[in-house]
Amino acid sequence: MASPALLNLVDITKKFGAVEALRGVSFSVSAGEVVALLGDNGAGKSTLVKIISGEQRPTSGRLEFDGRERHFASPGEAKDAGIETVYQDLSLCPNLDVVANFFMGRELTRKVFGIPILRDREMREETRRALTAGGTRIPSLRTDVEHLSGGQRQAIELNRFVHWGGKLVMLDEPFAALGVEQTRRGLETVDNVRQRGIGVILITHVMAQAFAVADRIIVMRQGIVAGDLRTDETSPDEVVRLITGDIERVGQGFKQQEVGTNL
Amino acid sequence: MANTQPTGALDNSDARPRRSRQLLAFVLDNLVWIILIIALSAFALFIPRFFQIGIFLNIVEQSTFVGIIAVGLSLTLIAGHMDLSIESVMALAAMLVALTFGTGGAGGGLVLSPSFLAFPVSLAMALGVGALIGALNGILVVRFEINAFIVTLAAYIWGRGLVVALSGGRSVYGLPDELRAMAIQRVLGIPFLAWAFIAVYVVFAFILNRTPYGRHLFMIGGNMVASNRAGIRVARNVILTFVLSGTLAGLAGWLLASRTAGATANLGIGMLFQAFAAVVIGGVSLRGGQGRLSGVFAGVLLLSSIQTAINVMGMRPHFTMMIQGALVLAAVLLDTAKNNIRRRYL
Ligand SMILES: Nc1ncnc2c1ncn2[C@@H]1O[C@H](COP(=O)(O)OP(=O)(O)O)[C@@H](O)[C@H]1O
Ligand SMILES: [Mg+2]
Repeated sequence: MASPALLNLVDITKKFGAVEALRGVSFSVSAGEVVALLGDNGAGKSTLVKIISGEQRPTSGRLEFDGRERHFASPGEAKDAGIETVYQDLSLCPNLDVVANFFMGRELTRKVFGIPILRDREMREETRRALTAGGTRIPSLRTDVEHLSGGQRQAIELNRFVHWGGKLVMLDEPFAALGVEQTRRGLETVDNVRQRGIGVILITHVMAQAFAVADRIIVMRQGIVAGDLRTDETSPDEVVRLITGDIERVGQGFKQQEVGTNL
Repeated sequence: MANTQPTGALDNSDARPRRSRQLLAFVLDNLVWIILIIALSAFALFIPRFFQIGIFLNIVEQSTFVGIIAVGLSLTLIAGHMDLSIESVMALAAMLVALTFGTGGAGGGLVLSPSFLAFPVSLAMALGVGALIGALNGILVVRFEINAFIVTLAAYIWGRGLVVALSGGRSVYGLPDELRAMAIQRVLGIPFLAWAFIAVYVVFAFILNRTPYGRHLFMIGGNMVASNRAGIRVARNVILTFVLSGTLAGLAGWLLASRTAGATANLGIGMLFQAFAAVVIGGVSLRGGQGRLSGVFAGVLLLSSIQTAINVMGMRPHFTMMIQGALVLAAVLLDTAKNNIRRRYL
């Protein structure tokens, strides 16, 4: 054990009634490491994200984060521990404006006679600075989110996690609604986040994105880890075959080897 | 919406839209107030004896009870739920106070010494019973995941049943003056209880717009999953909202008992529907996450203005119900129309 992993998953399973979404998933992520999580639709990626982020509880298995075992009872607890998540189905309130969404659940307040009062002007300033720094352009921060495009909404979420940071960020297909230029910026953002020493789990369907930014690639198939590979020791071709299941045994062998050497 | 963007607007600005759009938005946001002013002007012009200060004071005073329970209804609707129990909770609070302190009918005639203690003790009783039923509603909705419509409809029914059972169907009268201070004392010609009504709106408008709890309520009503993911304690906030709604209904019941100096088994019947009408007219969305208390306030005043106008004209009271029913429908249609206008021009 060189350095203890930031996140360590041991044999995580998740059943939805008869459906076994996860059948024993183990892997770890270190601080400052970008792990790309790949796999076909239904492989269990989003379920895994929801378990790590505290939205769902695993049926069995161990989740260690930041040096100790955790049982997150709510996303709030995971957030407090330092886990930020951008979910696949976006998590914004369409009925509120950009600023309210940016500060959702972490509003700046000042106490007047012990009563917390919202500091709207400060929040607006900070949102403006964060969005501008992230290269996001939204005409007016007073716009309700329901009037924004899919790309603008995704951009708000991306800027939100960058702003709040934490120790681990999970991005579940974050670039799906973004254009070419915005996606490039998004990948740059992931790289910046890594340089701040934050661990990243990036779920994507685009092989090029995974190879562009990830240190490791983990392939999931039918609820298990089919391969856990260093990006510089694999090829898109091999990853595709792991995803489709052509070389499952090779992948598992590889996984054991990784566990033996890296942990 | 993109093509109507004013040229030269800064990105990520907090620029408000152009003047003309600002005006349109203002009109749409405050439509109830405009309708209220038009209605009052029309009544004043066309109904003899309507334009008197006494009548306006009466309208405000009459609005107190429906007005206060409408706040609780608005809070629960904004959070994406509803509270139909408010009318019965109000009646139950009034009946409990009357049964304890009333000297006539079924009243128990409790006398505290010093006698002014009847005021705080009865208030605490009324608020307490409201909070308790609110907590029960909230827990059933949140922990047992039962639809709020069902939970609070049940409370509406059993609450009224309890009022009838406790009083044995008899009326109570003769509440002591110490307890009735809110109904007796006046400032600027307006009884304290109407000031309480106005204060409730000021306080809760502030809570909704300026505190994290208020903002979280809109978030929960707009997207509950997202709120939970953002670390907002959804369950706690929703239960608290039901407790507030029940407590406000308790307050309304206490004021109602003060005003009527007692209680009857059918006290306040029909006020739920008036509150609902006011809330819808005031622009609170039944789909959650949308609404302003200033609109509800105007909605309550509008309803009671119409009621007063009908009284002054000497028309029979069932006209009030027909007109109020029509108003609710008109309000819903108006809401749709407003949304269309917003989408097209704002
Ligand atoms: N809430 C749920 N109830 C029942 N089945 C679910 C639920 N969430 C996910 N599943 C199932 O779990 C499997 C994994 O889904 P998911 O984690 O969304 O996969 P991915 O994100 O890799 O596409 C799928 O078979 C899906 O149908
Ligand atoms: Mg998914």
